[in-house]
Amino acid sequence: MAATMEERLAQTFVELADTLVSGFDLMEFLHLLTDRCVELLEVDAAGLLLADARGALQLVAASTEQARLAELFQIQNDEGPCLDCYRTGSPVIVGDLATGNAAAQWPRFASAAKKMGFAAVHAIPMRLREEIIGTLNLFGSAPNVLDQAVARAATALVDVATIGILQERAAREQELVSGQLQVALNSRVMIEQAKGIIAERLRITPDQAFITLRHYSRNNNLPLTQLARDVISGTVAIAEGTQAGLRPKTPGQRR
Amino acid sequence: MAGDRAVKVWAWIAAAHIGDEPVSVAAVCNAAVLRLGIDGASVSAVSGRRRREPLFASNELSAVLEELQFTTGEGPAADGSGLGAPVLVGDLESAAARWPGFVPEAVAAGARAMFAVPLQAGAIQVGVLSLYRAIAGPLTAGELADVLVFADVALHMLLDAASGVSGSPDYRPLNEFSDRRAVVHQATGMISVQLEVSLEEALVRLRAHAFARGTGIGQVAGEVVSRRLRFDSGAGTDA
Repeated sequence: MAATMEERLAQTFVELADTLVSGFDLMEFLHLLTDRCVELLEVDAAGLLLADARGALQLVAASTEQARLAELFQIQNDEGPCLDCYRTGSPVIVGDLATGNAAAQWPRFASAAKKMGFAAVHAIPMRLREEIIGTLNLFGSAPNVLDQAVARAATALVDVATIGILQERAAREQELVSGQLQVALNSRVMIEQAKGIIAERLRITPDQAFITLRHYSRNNNLPLTQLARDVISGTVAIAEGTQAGLRPKTPGQRR
Repeated sequence: MAGDRAVKVWAWIAAAHIGDEPVSVAAVCNAAVLRLGIDGASVSAVSGRRRREPLFASNELSAVLEELQFTTGEGPAADGSGLGAPVLVGDLESAAARWPGFVPEAVAAGARAMFAVPLQAGAIQVGVLSLYRAIAGPLTAGELADVLVFADVALHMLLDAASGVSGSPDYRPLNEFSDRRAVVHQATGMISVQLEVSLEEALVRLRAHAFARGTGIGQVAGEVVSRRLRFDSGAGTDA
């Protein structure tokens, strides 16, 4: 099992490295990362949270865009494994929410997580030198403590995520890191705005709107952030009716 | 704690406010100068890519720096990538190659460090907060974190000024009113389609509606996203 994990991890690093060097889009990269976390770490959902200027944890990428799952991340601004992980800088591994202290420590979170069918929760810190800039949050539907190999792999993936955020070689100063974090957070906001526009035009939910965005992004090789901008500006139009979806705008067409 | 810094910065801004007029970006700038060890602060409004309109400058040099960036098209505030990143230049002289038309004049006028933060939420950019120092040196991590909160306040103040919300005596642009949950941004997108207006206008209307009802913006946004509330040509009607 360990050898297979290492091989798969190596493959993932190659894939992520390719994304880093060619046509890099941070949102695309972080979404890819959370998808791979789910596959490699054998969990059911993964989310990457970054701390904003005020120290609140914001979800920037997740393996699933289900709104109800977003709630589970949001609650953790007040209590939960991610908040503890962020504050202490240490991983928080909860093999089984039903046993131990989870319900006493984090009553709202434990209850919500159980309702959504999750039994195992883990939070891994994203560290940049001395600072904790966010956390990777993992959920499993079956009780499961991360074994050594998996925990190491999770840490490695988190480090890669941090590198992706830094991106530029010259990033030694705090200032540049903060700039990159702001870009990531802002990109996420843009994607949410685009989801709202599409949801309203096509009369679908924001979750479904995200799927529409991703399909178009993949089929047209257009990075997510750029696509979000294009939807907002009207460069990519939204067609309704039986062929509902996104289209490049034709001349004379309204957004 | 997430809220502590915001509470602290708002207290600084409220303390820096003078007169009977509503709290405005003037208080933001003056508080920044007083508390962050910088020599000047200014806010300019942005409409479209190039057009910037100065709104307030805490001193003469800040105003001069705004004007210089406007005429040369160079400088931290002028340089906005549109991506939302602050432009932080702890040593202005080292940026001479980057902004050859701007740096020599700015240095001659007395600036040695400049920091510009876009007032931005996703694709909505309403302005820029600019700070300068007469001595070179970067912002500390704590100062930068405070600057980002100042910018956040300024962003919401400008949005709320557009709807007149900020004129109210109990106006506070933080806490409920700067809820940054995904639903707020999704609702903004939806409202922009419902009203056929820009995202900026949609966010202004969303905030005004929340304020008028005395409800948190997150809650109103949730109602929009779950389609219990629509914005049509009235102020906001039930679906």
